[in-house]
Amino acid sequence: MPLEKRVLDLRRYVGFGEPDAAHLAAVRELLAPDFPRIAQDFYDKIREHEEAHAVLTGEDQIARLQRSLQVWMRRLFGGTYDAAYYEQTAHIGQVHVRVGLPQRYMFSAMALIRLELARLIEERATPSDVSATKAALNKALDIELAIMLEAFRDAFVARIERKQALEKDELTRRYAVAIELTRELVVAIDAGGAIRLFNAGAEVATGFGREEVIGRPFGTTMLSEESRARFDEIIASERPASTRFDAFVLTRAGKLRDVRWEIARSAGDLETFVIGHDNTEENMIAERSRQAEKLAAIGTLAAGLAHEIRNPLNGAQLHVAYLERTLKRANADTDTLEAVNVVGDEIKRLAGLVTEFLDFARPKPLVRKSTPLGSLMERIAHLMEAEAKAAQVEVVRDLPAKDILASVDAAKIEQVLLNLARNAVEALAPMNGGHVTLRLRRQPSRAVIEIEDDGPGLPGDDAPIFDAFYSTKPQGTGLGLAITHRIVTDHGGSIEVDSRSGRTIFRVALLLDGEPT
Amino acid sequence: MDAPRVLLLVVDDDVRSARRLAQMLREDGFDVDVAADGASAIARLTRSPIPTVLITDLHMPNADGAAVSTYARSRKSDMPIIVVTGYPQLASQLDALDPKPIVFTKPLVYAELSAELARVTS
Repeated sequence: MPLEKRVLDLRRYVGFGEPDAAHLAAVRELLAPDFPRIAQDFYDKIREHEEAHAVLTGEDQIARLQRSLQVWMRRLFGGTYDAAYYEQTAHIGQVHVRVGLPQRYMFSAMALIRLELARLIEERATPSDVSATKAALNKALDIELAIMLEAFRDAFVARIERKQALEKDELTRRYAVAIELTRELVVAIDAGGAIRLFNAGAEVATGFGREEVIGRPFGTTMLSEESRARFDEIIASERPASTRFDAFVLTRAGKLRDVRWEIARSAGDLETFVIGHDNTEENMIAERSRQAEKLAAIGTLAAGLAHEIRNPLNGAQLHVAYLERTLKRANADTDTLEAVNVVGDEIKRLAGLVTEFLDFARPKPLVRKSTPLGSLMERIAHLMEAEAKAAQVEVVRDLPAKDILASVDAAKIEQVLLNLARNAVEALAPMNGGHVTLRLRRQPSRAVIEIEDDGPGLPGDDAPIFDAFYSTKPQGTGLGLAITHRIVTDHGGSIEVDSRSGRTIFRVALLLDGEPT
Repeated sequence: MDAPRVLLLVVDDDVRSARRLAQMLREDGFDVDVAADGASAIARLTRSPIPTVLITDLHMPNADGAAVSTYARSRKSDMPIIVVTGYPQLASQLDALDPKPIVFTKPLVYAELSAELARVTS
């Protein structure tokens, strides 16, 4: 309520009118000589009171306040009670609030002044006017008190409002911190589909900084092509309720991440929030454990089957050996002997397949030992020499002067390298020769082995060459690279292929000694 | 002046193959007895003459190859033992035996067995 209206209200309430103003003005000069003394007494009283005295800062201030009190008393008996008058009263109230004067002292202090002024009026006013003048004084002082007290109320309300605003700011700030701390992707999109908010989780998952994506369209910036249509469809729908959908997110590096999105839009709000949970790692782990379970099941089956197959193979092989011996003794013709030989060879091949399969499905535990990889590769090069020469392939050694030690199962890594080297030599057959390079390099925590050939390259990028039973060779079991992959990953290492026409590299990375596996 | 005859005990529950193996070994100058399971093999080992070499499968009914091998060594502590099995990893059960048995994985290559027999009986 504005001050003017408050004053009018108060004046009407206590019945303060022009006659009251006239009565007060009439006694001013009669009382004025006592104003300095009243002010003096007033502040002497305050000095006696600890809590009230606490708001005072020193004698200078007390002198100033005494002058102010005298000015106030002259004003009180001034006879003019207009808007400017009450502005000043309100200001006095505000000063009281500012210096921290407890409001209860306003009453006791006012009571002291009221008694003294009333006493002076009784003493000095025209006797017939005493009663009316005292009444006018009481009304005027009550209005003064009421207005000054309003300042306390106003300050109190303002303080509460400030506190609430601060709390609201604090709450907002904490929400913002939570959004920045979460690993979830939180993105806001405006009605036009442009990104308006991009939290730290979204930055980490996508590799994009917020400054590059804010303002750009969400669909084309973030989602893989096949996920966009589905997203557009959901976002275009009128339903403001939350909807979940799975979409691949295209990272800055061009990789795909598997994200489950939740679309949230409050009714009537123009912004839509898309909150994503990156499932890439979880899905990968689940896929790996599914793969491991599948392999374990195959292993159990294979182990049982292998015994069953090896027994009849044993019978067949013994009987073939017997037939061969008997036929030779009977001087059988070459074709008959050749036929028996073929059966023998096929049995051996089958036996080899069973053994390879068991190697793959039921690998023996690793026996790790600190092994010089360079020497191991030197040995592979040596072992391959004859085979390579026969295929007109030159084996090139690119090994470091200082050997590299890795804690590995030497026999198994030898199996890996022999397999890769053999594959490389075989890959060069259609070119009637070429080069196979055995390369070893040290990286900060790993040793990197490369087997490179200058052959025609792999059939395609997506060929599942490390899968069991995938083979491009007519006589291949399709287990060689699967076993190779298995051995390397069992070592905690990695294997990858980089192939184009004229250059294929199989790269095996193994942890160095002392690195956690 | 014939050398003393070498007696082999062939143990395998695949009777037809065991018999064919025995026939080939006999043709090559060995004496051969055949047992079709672990229990019969142990029964045979209780009688004389004690075989010179034991050739046994591992996975068999009525006492397995490990039991047969252990019993054979109780009869003759240095009897050469040749294990022929589809489960070569089971041969680790025989690690306690000294000297250790020779282990062949099925299918058996007859020439390899011949070479090993020549070595252990020389």
